[in-house]
Amino acid sequence: MILNEKSIAEIKGKLALYPSPKSVVLPALTIAYRQVRYLSPEIYQEIAQVTGLSEVDVAGAASFYTMFPKEPVGKYLIQVCHNISCALLGADSLIGYLEQKLEIKKGQTTPDGLFTLISVECLGSCTTAPMMQINEDFYENLTHEKVDRILEELRGKS
Amino acid sequence: MAEKDNNSVSLTINGREISVPKGTTILEAAKQLGIYIPTFCWHPKLKPAGACRICYVEIEKMPKLMVSCATPVAPGMIVHTESEKVKQGRRAVLEFTLINHPLDCPTCDKGGECDLQDLTFRHGVDQSRFDFDKYRFIRDKKSTFDDFRLGPEIIRNQNRCILCYKCVRANTEIFGEDDLGAFQRGNITEIDTPPGRQVDSLYSGNLVEICPVGALTNTDWRYKIRVWNTQTVNSICPYHADGANIKIWKDRQNVFRVTSRRNDAIDEGWLSDVTRYGYQIAKPEGRLLNPLMKKGGSQVAVTWEEALSAIARKFKDIKDNKGGVCIGGMISPQLDCTSVYAFSKFFRTIIHSNNVDFRTEYRMLPEIPEDMYSRMASQEFSIADIEKADLIIVLDSDIIKEHPNVNLRIRKAITQKGARLYTLNPVETKTGALSVDEMVFRVGTLEALLNGVCAGLVEAGLASKKGDTSALKKCLEPNTVKDAAQISGISEERIKAFTLAVAHAQKPCLIAGEWLTESSMREKLAGAVHNLALLGSLYEKGQIGLLARAANSKGAKKLGALPHPGPGMIEKMKQTWGEYPDVPGLASDRMIRASVKQELDALFIVGVNPMLTMPDGQFVREGLEKLDFLVVADLYESETTQMADVVLPLSSWAEYGDRFVNLEGRVQEFQDAIKPLGQSRPGYLIVNDLAAQLKSPLFSEKSKFADEVDTFLNEDSVMPVPETLVEVRFMEDKINPEFPTPMLVVDEEHHFGHWTEKTKSLSVFCGEAAVEISSALAEKIGVVNGDIIRIESEVGKVNLPARISETIDAEVILVYRNFSASPVNILQMRKRRVDRVKITRVES
Amino acid sequence: MEKKILTKYIDDPAQIDIDTFMAHGGYKAWEKVLKSMKPEQVIDEVKKSGVRGRGGAGFPAGMKWSFVPKDNPKPKYLVCNADESEPGTCKDRVLMERDPHSIVEGMAIAAFAIQSHLAFIYIRGEFAYPAQMMEKAVREAYAKKILGKNIFGSGYNLDMIVHTGGGAYICGEETSLLNSLEGERGMSRIRPPFPAVEGLYGCPTVVNNVETLACVPHVINNGAEWYSSMGTEKSKGSKLFSLSGHIKKPGNYELELGTPLSVLINDLGGGMLDGHNLKAIIPGGSSTPFLKPEQINVKLDYESLAEAGSMLGSGAVIVISDRTCMVWVIERLIHFYKHESCGKCTPCREGTGWLEQVISRIEHGQGMPGDLEKIESLCENILGRTVCPLGDAAVMPIQSSLKLFRDEWAYHIEHHRCMVKTEFAFN
Repeated sequence: MILNEKSIAEIKGKLALYPSPKSVVLPALTIAYRQVRYLSPEIYQEIAQVTGLSEVDVAGAASFYTMFPKEPVGKYLIQVCHNISCALLGADSLIGYLEQKLEIKKGQTTPDGLFTLISVECLGSCTTAPMMQINEDFYENLTHEKVDRILEELRGKS
Repeated sequence: MAEKDNNSVSLTINGREISVPKGTTILEAAKQLGIYIPTFCWHPKLKPAGACRICYVEIEKMPKLMVSCATPVAPGMIVHTESEKVKQGRRAVLEFTLINHPLDCPTCDKGGECDLQDLTFRHGVDQSRFDFDKYRFIRDKKSTFDDFRLGPEIIRNQNRCILCYKCVRANTEIFGEDDLGAFQRGNITEIDTPPGRQVDSLYSGNLVEICPVGALTNTDWRYKIRVWNTQTVNSICPYHADGANIKIWKDRQNVFRVTSRRNDAIDEGWLSDVTRYGYQIAKPEGRLLNPLMKKGGSQVAVTWEEALSAIARKFKDIKDNKGGVCIGGMISPQLDCTSVYAFSKFFRTIIHSNNVDFRTEYRMLPEIPEDMYSRMASQEFSIADIEKADLIIVLDSDIIKEHPNVNLRIRKAITQKGARLYTLNPVETKTGALSVDEMVFRVGTLEALLNGVCAGLVEAGLASKKGDTSALKKCLEPNTVKDAAQISGISEERIKAFTLAVAHAQKPCLIAGEWLTESSMREKLAGAVHNLALLGSLYEKGQIGLLARAANSKGAKKLGALPHPGPGMIEKMKQTWGEYPDVPGLASDRMIRASVKQELDALFIVGVNPMLTMPDGQFVREGLEKLDFLVVADLYESETTQMADVVLPLSSWAEYGDRFVNLEGRVQEFQDAIKPLGQSRPGYLIVNDLAAQLKSPLFSEKSKFADEVDTFLNEDSVMPVPETLVEVRFMEDKINPEFPTPMLVVDEEHHFGHWTEKTKSLSVFCGEAAVEISSALAEKIGVVNGDIIRIESEVGKVNLPARISETIDAEVILVYRNFSASPVNILQMRKRRVDRVKITRVES
Repeated sequence: MEKKILTKYIDDPAQIDIDTFMAHGGYKAWEKVLKSMKPEQVIDEVKKSGVRGRGGAGFPAGMKWSFVPKDNPKPKYLVCNADESEPGTCKDRVLMERDPHSIVEGMAIAAFAIQSHLAFIYIRGEFAYPAQMMEKAVREAYAKKILGKNIFGSGYNLDMIVHTGGGAYICGEETSLLNSLEGERGMSRIRPPFPAVEGLYGCPTVVNNVETLACVPHVINNGAEWYSSMGTEKSKGSKLFSLSGHIKKPGNYELELGTPLSVLINDLGGGMLDGHNLKAIIPGGSSTPFLKPEQINVKLDYESLAEAGSMLGSGAVIVISDRTCMVWVIERLIHFYKHESCGKCTPCREGTGWLEQVISRIEHGQGMPGDLEKIESLCENILGRTVCPLGDAAVMPIQSSLKLFRDEWAYHIEHHRCMVKTEFAFN
């Protein structure tokens, strides 16, 4: 099993909450994502096994939702919002700056496996544009200095 | 127009008024008026999706175009289906639908019967404003792909898919399968299996049939012929007793495929793959195409004249010297009415023997005419009425394997109409997963369990007043819930809960299958069902079906193709024929025994393969070997034809027209699609030719003979049931400790009878013979999936690969019959109710 | 200028704790409802108050509740729509992060009004922190027996589940949200049946936006009359506006409905960024048609904005300066809508993809004569023809842009480049 005991227990806990077991598909995918950081056919199979749902339900749903990476990503998944409010305030140049700082192109992972850079649709942080989400945290009102500091801190942590 | 009542709604469509029930959609109302509205994603048996948008209509006072498939009628609505606005809307949808559609019509097998092609033609969309490259689906990040195999018979071309989702919807809503889904989203949505799976359920072919474009095609049909070069004839499924209605697609002398011919009373347009691909028996590959006769130890081709005169000579000889009773006949219940009737009449009026039987998979057949079982099995039963039931009880049947359409109707009753299902089986089944309680009783204890339910009804004061409850203690053993629980292994609570469900059902429906109807204990079991029906008022409130199994089992019974047709039928035969042999008749197993004892000299076998199907294969072999003379007519060479002195090539049902009687008693006609292959002949012609040689033909014109057959088919065959409880005493099966594991013999889902193995498509679905086993039992004997298990009974042994089942928990094994490479009938015992075996792992 | 009703305490960091929330009068309305009101009274009060759906559609909340059939024996469900994904909008997030109990309270009252015993809040998956705050609030409410069994001794039971999504804008559409909550792919459902009759798990269901529900306790506490005294004749009360774009002081502002847009942009927002002049305003989230600078005095209410050719929508005001190419703006948006189309119905699925291709080609200097007419025609073939409003949402800004800024589009096609080069480097 890829899923650890804690994740399995959490998924089973969710099963008890809902009137229909199928409702745990998204919670289960979220739990698995938090543990493994990306989803795969093996994960769908395990979730199906734990929840008693069919694999097609789990895999079909998972493929619909874009928030969960379906391939391995760096330790820090940087998602830059490129939608309208952020774009108006320089999201494109923010992406360019990150590409330059990380020495990778959008869609790539740094060779040390630390950062993956992607751009995404609106993250609901429009009044604090431009912004990015790294793993589950929002970083808002970004400036060059702020980005430098954030990257430095994250590098320092690992 | 005034509303007829509160439940009807009047509206106007294209200036024509119509009144329809509340809740009807505009599309359905238009259909009733004969007004055509195009559709892609709509299907009469699926919930509307409103996805394709091609069925727009304009409704006055509504600003937007509405989709007619999902918009219910409202009083006074004024609908236009051909206004300019509607036409513009449809053209727009067609344009959108076509932008990423490959337009590879010349190489697409759907060409000529493609909804998209037809609609585009009809709407004159002959130019595209789309000036980009069409989207191409990429697989594995490498190549573009067009054809991708989803299952043994399904090829998917995702580029052609217009995302109507009908396949996925039907697969989920109707079949309850989980092997197909939609993946990704938006315009890159793909229809696919979950990782590592394939689409191979019993209903997989339907997904191809309902695809409106060439996205799903099947291996069997594609690229064999263009559809406009074919014709169709109406036919009936020649396998299951459900009697699904089909169309055979053919040209002058070839058959190409089978599709549904929707009959809401039976199949609702859904076919099992056995029905769909089993038509391949009408292809020449592997078929017997000329008569054979044993000469000097081997079978050589001969003319019909030579074969028939040899048979006639031999039969006459035996008849004259030893008597007609030394000749017996077995005929397949998959044969048509004329053939089984002619066979019975031939034996009775020309051979002067009552040794006639269509039941060749039974054992210890009771020989009491008009027995309890026959009475119960003669009760009226309707497939469509299953969905009216609020309680469905399935007894002793893995129903999906026996009756694919009954199974779908049960599913529908449960998932769409809220019925509750209880299954009472010796093993877990696929259908059981839908039940409120899947009661898996100890093998061989069903009557004890049913007695327990009867006792439960009486104990709770819920028994019908009609049954004399005081007789319970006298007639039934066990006669308390407690004892029944003890014996059957189903707890008292569960029996009581089921009892309550029976008592409170408004419209119960009880269905029993082959483990009951073909059990050596079926008389007792039928009695137990009767007692339950009596005390639970099932006769009055609902329906009971002890279901016939093969396409014409019911017809064969109605036409008297069995040794003891019963006094009423005998009387009718006498009247019709002017004679009836006053001799005892042997059932099929007794014929074999008689031969072993050298009391029977000749057998005439039509369309059956007892070597593969009758219990105790070794004994059957001995019986057939000891015969003086064996004649076998069949489609294919078989273990039985190999032993024959004369082999006659039999035509398949697609090669002549006749009738089958389905499990409801519905007489259904099928037409000839092609002429008999090679020199093969239909059963009735073979019999008639022989009759002519021996005495005189049974008929000169088939249509006149059909009138005679009709007089039998038209007889009311429902027999009364007793109004009192009947005696049902449970007897513990004796178990030889050396052979402890109960074995159930079943069909593989995609297999039915001994012919389907010979068809290309179904043989792929079926794969190899196997033994299904629970994971616990597998662990116990130390086998994993695919390991070979040696199965030994007191009379034989077989090695089979293990197929570890996800559904089975019970400590039984299931073996698949009708695989000629691994005949499991050699394990079955003639005199035992339950086959018990010893299983061990074979060291490789 | 601001009318702080929902946002009164959001600057108090302790507001997220139940004690502070209660010290500020929280859960009083919930208690009042359970102890002294009948469901119909609650519905009447909310109907009278004139609270309308704040998610975008503006449907009267009380009316929506009253559609739930009372004689239906099935369980009823209340679902709070916190799948805030409309570009430009981030008001619900603020409420969830800073005053989560106000949402719990609103949900509880709404649940009681429709006699639901199980309520869900569906939060977009990317909102991990807001979801944490909601979970904390629900946990605290259970601990204080404000949720659970026999609440306030009334005999009423109510459970609440915090559910997070997986990244799909379409799940903000109520029927897609219900499918998603059921574990299905988030594809929209056809109506009828409407959720009020056949919603979650086939049972009667009400789906309300976060902000809508947050209004409810205030209506109960202060009365319908008090609430309806604010706003205009048909747009009652206050509303949160998310102000973003080329503006000095972006942020979430709560205004009385009917307040002029200029107040938001110039007074509260501090006007345009230095060196930028106003060119266009998206007043209600990315799906709403543009306004021109001369319309800056339009009143922010449902009717006035409709009259001005746009919509109040979710109240996301995006301010765009003259240093922005309008084709570029639309390219961003159509890319988004295409990405978010669920794939169910043909016009949206195929139409958004096609539009993206044509618009992208124009933006990248490869537009062709006739492209604008083609775009217009495609928009007409999508508008009003789809299962859910995503199709309309995708084409309305395009149609508006083509109408209001046609010169820029034409320039693009003729000169193969932008008339106005979008230049904005972040600091």
